[in-house]
Parts: sequence; C-alpha cells; structure tokens
Amino acid sequence: MTQAKVAVLPGSGRPGGGVLATLFRFQSLFGLVLVFAAAVVYSPSKNGELVFLDSGNLFNVVRSMSEIGILAVGMTLVILIGAIDLSVGSVLGLASVGSAVLLTGNDLGLVPAVLAVLAIGLGFGLLQGIAITAFGIQAFIVTLAGMQIARGLARIWSGGQGVSITYGDRPGQAPVTFSLLRERTFDGLVPIPALIFGVVAALAVVLLRVSAFSRHVYAIGGNEKAARLSGVPVKRVKIVVFGLCGLLAALAGIVHAGQLNFGGPNDGAMYELDAIAAVVIGGTSLMGGRGSVVGTVAGALLVGVLRNILALNNVDSNVQLLVIGLVIVLAAGLQRLRPASVS
Amino acid sequence: MKKSRALAAAGACLLLAACGTTHENAGAGGGPGATAKCGADGKYTIGMSQANVAEPYRQRMNDDIRSAVAAVPQFTVDFADAAQDNSKQVEQVDTFLTQQIDLLIISPNEATPLTAPVKRAFDKGIPVLVLDRKVDGDAYTSFIGADNTAIGRQAGEYFKNVLLPHGGKIAELRGLAGSTPARERHDGFVQGIEGSKIEIVAAQDADWLRDKGQQQADAILQAHPDIQAIYSQNDPMGEGARIAAQNAGRADLPITGIDGLPIESGGLKAVESGRLSATFLYPTGGREAVDAAKRILLDCGQVPKTQTLPTRLVTKENAAATYAELNTGS
Repeated sequence: MTQAKVAVLPGSGRPGGGVLATLFRFQSLFGLVLVFAAAVVYSPSKNGELVFLDSGNLFNVVRSMSEIGILAVGMTLVILIGAIDLSVGSVLGLASVGSAVLLTGNDLGLVPAVLAVLAIGLGFGLLQGIAITAFGIQAFIVTLAGMQIARGLARIWSGGQGVSITYGDRPGQAPVTFSLLRERTFDGLVPIPALIFGVVAALAVVLLRVSAFSRHVYAIGGNEKAARLSGVPVKRVKIVVFGLCGLLAALAGIVHAGQLNFGGPNDGAMYELDAIAAVVIGGTSLMGGRGSVVGTVAGALLVGVLRNILALNNVDSNVQLLVIGLVIVLAAGLQRLRPASVS
Repeated sequence: MKKSRALAAAGACLLLAACGTTHENAGAGGGPGATAKCGADGKYTIGMSQANVAEPYRQRMNDDIRSAVAAVPQFTVDFADAAQDNSKQVEQVDTFLTQQIDLLIISPNEATPLTAPVKRAFDKGIPVLVLDRKVDGDAYTSFIGADNTAIGRQAGEYFKNVLLPHGGKIAELRGLAGSTPARERHDGFVQGIEGSKIEIVAAQDADWLRDKGQQQADAILQAHPDIQAIYSQNDPMGEGARIAAQNAGRADLPITGIDGLPIESGGLKAVESGRLSATFLYPTGGREAVDAAKRILLDCGQVPKTQTLPTRLVTKENAAATYAELNTGS
C-alpha cells in the first residue's frame, strides 16, 4: 500500500517542487494565460472596445469548448491510467440521437430520458472496460471497435436521419425545459453548457484530490504491476474509469443535442481527437500516471481562446488547423523536457 | 490592420447615421428591428459561413463568391469553414456577429442546428442569404439554391427516355444518409422514372465520396451482375463506380452523376472524357449570392425570398461548351 502511495499524487504537493516544477506541472495554465494575453493584444476593436474581451465573446469561447471539455475530463481519467478511449465522439453522437429520439418519440419525460441516455453512456463505457480487463485486449483496440459500434447504433437508432427536436406539450415534442441547454443564465451571460462543463470539471478535480479512487488511478498509470502487487483493485478501477468516461461522453451528447435542437447520427466525429488534444496540451502524459484535470480544462480553454482570436482576425481556417497542431506538438515537447524530479 | 478597422468602424457609424432616414424603405435587410445600413459609397464586410470546404463543390462555391466579390470594391468577404460540424458552424456564425459583419451568407451543414444562429443574425438586422441548404422557419432574407428534387426528376427522366427506354435493372449510389439532398435526389429520381419499366434493384449509401462509391459499386456489381446502369447522386461517387465497373469488366456500363462542377477534377470533365454518361448541373449560387448582396447593400433594394437556380442536363455533346461558359469571367 505504501508503495502505491509513493508512486502517486503528482497534483498534491510532492517533494522536489520548486518554481520550475510548478511551471511544468501547470504548463497549460501558463500557456492559457499567455494565449489570453496575446489574444487581448491582437484583438480587433470596434468603437474603442476590444472585441475579444467582450463578455459575450468570452462566454462564447467557454460554451464552444464545453462539449470537448466534458469529453476531455473523462479522457483525462482514462489517460491517467495509461489507456485511451477512442469511442467518446461516437458515444456523443449516439447520446445526441438518443436524447432526440427519447424526448420526441416516446414522450418519456425529461428526467427518465436524460437518465436513460446517461445510463447508455455509462453502460457502454463499463462494457468497454470489462472487455479490456477481462480479455486483456488493449484499450486502443476495444475503444476503436466501440467507436464503430456506437456510430452504427446511432445511425440505426435514428434511421440514418438527423432527428429534429421541437419543444412543447404535445405528443412528439420535447419538454420545454430541455431547451434550457441552449440558454444563458445569470442575466443572460453564462451559457448553461459552460456551467455544466464547470460543474463536471470541479467534481472531477475534487474526485482526484480527495478519494482513494484517485490514488488508485495514479498508481495504475504510474506502474500497473506495482499497483496490483500493493493491493490496488486494478481491474475494478479500470472498469469504473471507462464507465465514467462513457457517462461523460453521454452527458456531452445531451448538451450537444440540447444546444442544436437536433440529434445527429454523424455528429461528434473527430471529437475524440479534440479531447485527446486538450488532455495532451493540459500536460497529462499519454504514458499515464501524471497529469491533472485542471491542466485539461486549461488545455481545452487554450484551444478555444486560440481558435477564437484567430477567427476574430479572419485567419484562414486551414491556417488555424496548422496553429493548433503546432500548439499540440509544443505541449508534448514541453513534456519531454520536464525534469525527472517533477515526474 | 487595427487602424484601418477602427476607421472602417467609424465610417460605418457615420453611414448608419446617414442611412437613418432611408432605412424604412430599404427593408430588404434583416428582420424585426432591422437597422440595416446600405448605400453605394459604404464599405461592407460579408461573412461567409461554409459547411465543409473539403467538398470540392463547396470550395467552388467559395471561389465563385470570392471572384464575384473581387469585382465589387465596396465588399470584403471573410470565410469560415465548419468542416461538417454543426457545433463549429454555430460558433463561427456567432463569431461573425461579434465581429459585426454587414451581411451573412451561410451554407448550413444541417438545417435545424443552424436555425437559431441564423435567426440571431436576422433579428439583429443583418441580412442573411442562405445558400444551397435551407434552415427551418423563415428568419432569413433570401434562400438561393437549386432544387434537388427537380434535379433527381430530370435524372430519372433521362434514364426513362434516353438510357433505358425499354426499362431495365439499375443501381443507385446515395449520398450521406440523413442529408436532405440525398433524400430529395432519390425522391425526384423515383418520380422521374415513374411509369417506366426501370427497376432499382440495389441502393447503397456512399456518403458522397469517390472511394466509398467504388467500394459500394464493387459489391453491387458482384451481387447484381445484370444491372444495366448506375444512377449516382453525385459525380465523385459515379467516378468511383466507373473504376469498379472497369474492374468488373463492364467498362461500358452507363453511369450518371449530379453536380457538374466546372473544375479540372469535376463532373463536366468526366462527362467530356466519357467516364460519366451524363451529369446534371447543380449551380453553387455563389455569384447569385453576391448579386443579391449588391442589391441589398449597395442599391438598398429588395431581393426575392426564394431564388431557385436552373439546372441542366450535360452530356458529351455540350460538356466542353458548358465548362468554358462557367469559367468565363472568374
């Protein structure tokens, strides 16, 4: 047990710190500050006001990253145990179709429908976790298959057509409450999806700070064999992690459907890669055992701010892809430079 | 860069004031509470939100807009590419609104998800031209596009009257399942062949893509070696099917496409060189959109709520001429 503890907890005051260590540990946070400052400098202005700093614009940035952010929080857990989940984008598509169909086709009621979709995501993730641990297949392969299966299910369930969501009390209409997902709260300023992203991130931070589960996650990512020998229930923890990741992907799918009034069977394609990018930029090691949710959130926001400022300056969308690609490489490169004492 | 922006903004304010008295009768722009500015001596930024530039048809639409705008000194155009992602396109339209563009042209990835941001723009008084694919409701200034059902019908009639007058078995290659053009090009085709002895014995989704077209046609030709023609819902899938047909030893199998893009790798060239038996021109509407923008912004005029662009049959006889015609002046 003690051995497991030594191998873990990079986020909570390990020895060997110092300025450099902090810098590396929260590289994405510093990166975010830098990009934010650059965005302020290069912001176009209208009538003497910086367009970028307009609160509507800033909350738009968070809203636009909320789905990727929610996916990325789940992905962080998976990557922390040294695995990967390629299915999240497809599960998002499945969940968005599921939300639309259950809300408009079955008159299921808001809470049962949402719970059902969340259960589908959770179940899908748990099954993937079981397949990985029971048969010893690599997560990459299992979730690659899961990606295809979830996409197939989404297309079958929707009959290959996008499902529009209309709101009202009549049969075939979704409860009006669901349309809150595209609204803003606090004087019309804070988008609900951004709020959900914030709550998810906060819960994950707390989970990874205080629980025994957290120690197990870091231990497995640090050294799976050592973790097993020191009594960590490796299989169970892995299954739970994939379950949580699936659950969050379903939540992101619900947010997606609510924002767009639409369940799209083809939606969410490539989102898994955006989520992985946010995690990597956030400083989480793809080898596992090292990283934090705070870093991931900062990584997601960094991409959002970057995309926003490039768009505000009308930079060609193809060049935007280049820039974001370079940032990913840069973040991964910084990882390699990280001094061993900080590991 | 920044200075010129500030100047443009200042200019826009002056213009707004100058236009204040005339905007009542310049009702073409925007929706409720419209404060659309217009006048031939202003400077205007147009935002163009494209669903997916990776499709050659949509690249051509952007090119048509770019070349048409180049002829109007008062206009500049900013392009955004949603890469087939509804969420991203919503975000990009909102960014355009933050930038306070003067007119929005949008070719929405899908109708329902893009309806809200289009309405937001329209309600702010920004004229909105919807290209090719529709949005729900009527909170936009004008829809410009060809009629997919009509094109499908024309293709069906070509099969009935020219390709297979005595009937026969054919296969259909469909675009991305769930997209409206895929459904409408199918429905129209079925109307077109009505009353004939043509039978669609196989139909597969090939997502508008050449490689998937080949893959699906491979399987279809295995399962139905007796088919006499293939109706492909766009040209790239038809080109893929041609490769499959050649591999199956049926190099002369008639295959028709749709789109007729006037580019080197497009359907017009494919028809000219005999790879496709025919294609049906599906205009991008890019130039027509810029014409509409001129009428709204420069002439303070009105545009019709719907502009349906004409389609036409392209065969080996007129392919070269059509190609030349569509590439003049750009």
